[in-house]
Amino acid sequence: MIASDLYYLMLLLFSAGVVSVFFTRSNAKLTNYIAHSIALMGSAAAILCAIFIFIQGKVVVALPVVLPFGPIGTSIDYLSAYFLLIVGVVGAATSIYAYGYSREYYNCRLPLMAGLYNAFLLSMVLVFTVSHVVAFIIAWEVMSTVSFLLVNHEYEKKVSTRAAYIYIVMTHIGTIFIITAFLLLATGAGSMDFSQLKGSLVSENSRNIIFLCVLIGFGTKAGMVPLHIWLPRAHPAAPSHVSALMSGVMLKTAIYGMCRFFLEFLGTGPVWWGNLILVLAIITAVIGVLYAFIEHDIKRLLAYSSVENIGIILLGIGAGMVFMSKEQPFLAGVAFSAALYHVFNHALFKSLLFMGAGAVLQATHTKDMEQLGGLIKKMPYTAVFCLVSSVAIAALPPLNGFVSEWLTFQVLLFLPQALVGITGKVFSALLIPLLGLTGALAAACFATSFGITFLAKPRSKKAEQAVEAAPSMLVAMGMLAGMCVVLGLWPRAMLTILSQVLVRFPSIDTRGLVGYDWYVLAPATGQSDGGISTAAIVLLLLSGLAIAMLLHFIFGKEKVAVGETWTCGIVPNYHMEYTATGFSKSIRMVFNSIVHPYFETLINANDNKYYGRKLFYHVRIRYLFVSVVYRPINEIIIRAAKFMKSIQTGSVQLYVGYIMAVTVVILIWSTGW
Amino acid sequence: MNILLSVIQALGLVLLAPLVAGIIKTAKAGLQSRRGPRIFQLYFDLIKLLAKDSVVSPTVSWIFKIAPYIYFAASAAAAALVPIVTSQSSGVGDFFTLIYLLALGRFFLVLASLDGGSAFGGMGGAREMFIAILVEPALLLSILTVASKAQTTNLGLMASHAASSSLSLAYVFAAIAFFIVLIAETGRIPVDNPDTHLELTMIHEGMVLEYSGRKLALIFWASAVKQMIMILLFILLFLPGNVFGSTIFIGIVLKVLLVAVSIAIAETSTNKMRLFKVPNFLAVSCLLSLLALVAQ
Repeated sequence: MIASDLYYLMLLLFSAGVVSVFFTRSNAKLTNYIAHSIALMGSAAAILCAIFIFIQGKVVVALPVVLPFGPIGTSIDYLSAYFLLIVGVVGAATSIYAYGYSREYYNCRLPLMAGLYNAFLLSMVLVFTVSHVVAFIIAWEVMSTVSFLLVNHEYEKKVSTRAAYIYIVMTHIGTIFIITAFLLLATGAGSMDFSQLKGSLVSENSRNIIFLCVLIGFGTKAGMVPLHIWLPRAHPAAPSHVSALMSGVMLKTAIYGMCRFFLEFLGTGPVWWGNLILVLAIITAVIGVLYAFIEHDIKRLLAYSSVENIGIILLGIGAGMVFMSKEQPFLAGVAFSAALYHVFNHALFKSLLFMGAGAVLQATHTKDMEQLGGLIKKMPYTAVFCLVSSVAIAALPPLNGFVSEWLTFQVLLFLPQALVGITGKVFSALLIPLLGLTGALAAACFATSFGITFLAKPRSKKAEQAVEAAPSMLVAMGMLAGMCVVLGLWPRAMLTILSQVLVRFPSIDTRGLVGYDWYVLAPATGQSDGGISTAAIVLLLLSGLAIAMLLHFIFGKEKVAVGETWTCGIVPNYHMEYTATGFSKSIRMVFNSIVHPYFETLINANDNKYYGRKLFYHVRIRYLFVSVVYRPINEIIIRAAKFMKSIQTGSVQLYVGYIMAVTVVILIWSTGW
Repeated sequence: MNILLSVIQALGLVLLAPLVAGIIKTAKAGLQSRRGPRIFQLYFDLIKLLAKDSVVSPTVSWIFKIAPYIYFAASAAAAALVPIVTSQSSGVGDFFTLIYLLALGRFFLVLASLDGGSAFGGMGGAREMFIAILVEPALLLSILTVASKAQTTNLGLMASHAASSSLSLAYVFAAIAFFIVLIAETGRIPVDNPDTHLELTMIHEGMVLEYSGRKLALIFWASAVKQMIMILLFILLFLPGNVFGSTIFIGIVLKVLLVAVSIAIAETSTNKMRLFKVPNFLAVSCLLSLLALVAQ
């Protein structure tokens, strides 16, 4: 079996990557090349392993690990292989990128970072492939801890430590719920093996409890609103190639967990499961993109946009569950493939955007867009790749983001087929425009972030002195940009894989997904033959371009004169350029009940009072969920702690008294009152 | 074969679009008791601009140079999707494809507006995006009335479904809702003033302030095409009944004239509203669409 050999090889390589840094730690350059080369080979093995699984079928591998909970097996089915493919693709790109990007860290504990990077990949691979409850939870915890350490890598910065601690607290709250869900299922099934969990005998009530636990537990990891608050803090704090992995792949472990539970372990549930997910998903999408739009720290913007994309993915999953419970297997298949397609797409363009942000960060040492500008001339290739990913993430045709968003739109349009009556109508009448709003906001958000970062004149010395990123970083970004284009123009390839992934699950029918010409995407819904073809769109765009080019033959070559930008007769400088804050102002005003903007104006009092005082103007946001959800909880905890403080005076006599009192109460209780 | 037909249709629409813009202008002038420019004036303007030199700022990058071409190509490609000749071509004529193609053009134009490095361009771009963001949900909601009944977003199928369904209150509501969207999307009074010459009140014109010569011609032309597409969508989806006899082409031409005149009437009877009133204006459209959906 080639697949299982490749699987072992992949685990060995990643482990070797962790170990290798102990031997090479004296030489930063050597550490960089060896550790990241091993990670690259491991990722390549992951890709090959996934491909061979798709060819050979399901693979069962026994891991030589002994735990007191029965044999630990890994059974890699198509769903696992699909996510393994994502780790492989993104991991390969980030590993190549890391060659260049790690130069930043030669004096900043590079061996630690490189070792943890390999461990991070290893743990994610294990999360996707192990098929035993205990092994899954161990891998999950290793992944959380390693990513915590990576977020905390630059612990000299106070922001990073704070982000890391919020992250570890939130992720552990999530883990509690995941463990609860697993244990409830496992006690019902009498086994901890994934293959036995499917038929777990649990009552209807505990099934609902398990569902909620899964939603909260994995929702925390995915960054579902209102459990998302760690995400925009933690992702920007990590080194950029790790941010790319965290946003691109780690969030998807939660999606993987949800798919496992909802498709396999729990099976079809009541309709309100799907409805609840749909409601949470659309809130996640809109809130995420709204915050992304008003953000001007590039990496935080990208993190918020990850929240948005998780919302879009969850829309597919929620709709799929609604269709499953209403026995619409065709539509459930389309819904889940929309979600999983978007999983892959988001992994590609979000990693690419984080890499671009990293390249900008490395070149200018700032993440603040208001200080950037004009980088398209200093970093031409980075700019092209960022443009491709911005177009893709804004769901514009003909790239891949458009395809999955279109599928999601279709799924929502057919929602009334499952939810008959006014509920279905209202639901689809609310979800489709809100998803449209999300798309439009995303387009505006990435037009701003690209425009402010790369176009016009540099807004600071830092941006003026920027140089193009290292070749390895460009190669990595180019790979992902190429894949964005391919998956956009050839959606059939991905849908063929997805129909294989999903066909195994009982309440899903994927026959409608494929079976057309290669360039057409028309999920048969049993109703009509509406479909799109991205290749035809390209053809049409090209013919449109040809019409425009025809003018060159009629009117001759265009003559171009150079003239300064019109600024009412003043010599233009970078202070006149529009800022990201200005760009999002109107949206801040319209949505002020959600984003609560407020201003801080600092005036330099030492300047002349009547002429040319220096003003600093800041816009800040009150985060709704922090002030409504988290701060009250925080206050309750602090109040409880204060109350405990008054009981705990530190006097030994009092403690002895407490013990006495408790003993007496227990004695009385044990006698049965 | 289908795609060839689509391209021919796109070519036809691209050539006719300035005429529709001219008709609106003439009708508007007539309503305001002016003589107004000739109906073919936009063609002369375009030819003049196409032959002229372009002035390009040293600040800009290649984005500024390709943006008009992409805007034009996207609008022309969108024109190919309108279900007139290519009514049932599956695989191409999808509604989401059409509006996202228009969004692609807008995306690049906004980038170009930031590229010049002046506050006017950025302001225009920001406002254009602001209105686009607000229009999107209203547009989808009004289309949903037709799409959810036809159970598809294929434009050809939607149009034939709309043509076969009887006139109802829901359609009237949805039609008014879409008309509001049409006005906002094509940048007409009361949302945007296409004839303004004050930089601070411009939206679309402010965004393209830096352009001149052939690039400006392409942008004007593409805007006209976009306006034509929206008018045609309105006609095919919301004015389907064969009001003017059975011949489909003559019917379409007459309806285009009707819509052009109504746009002119709408423009002359109102004045431009403040930017922050636009959300309320579009909220009216959303509410009407919701009513239409419920009434269906």
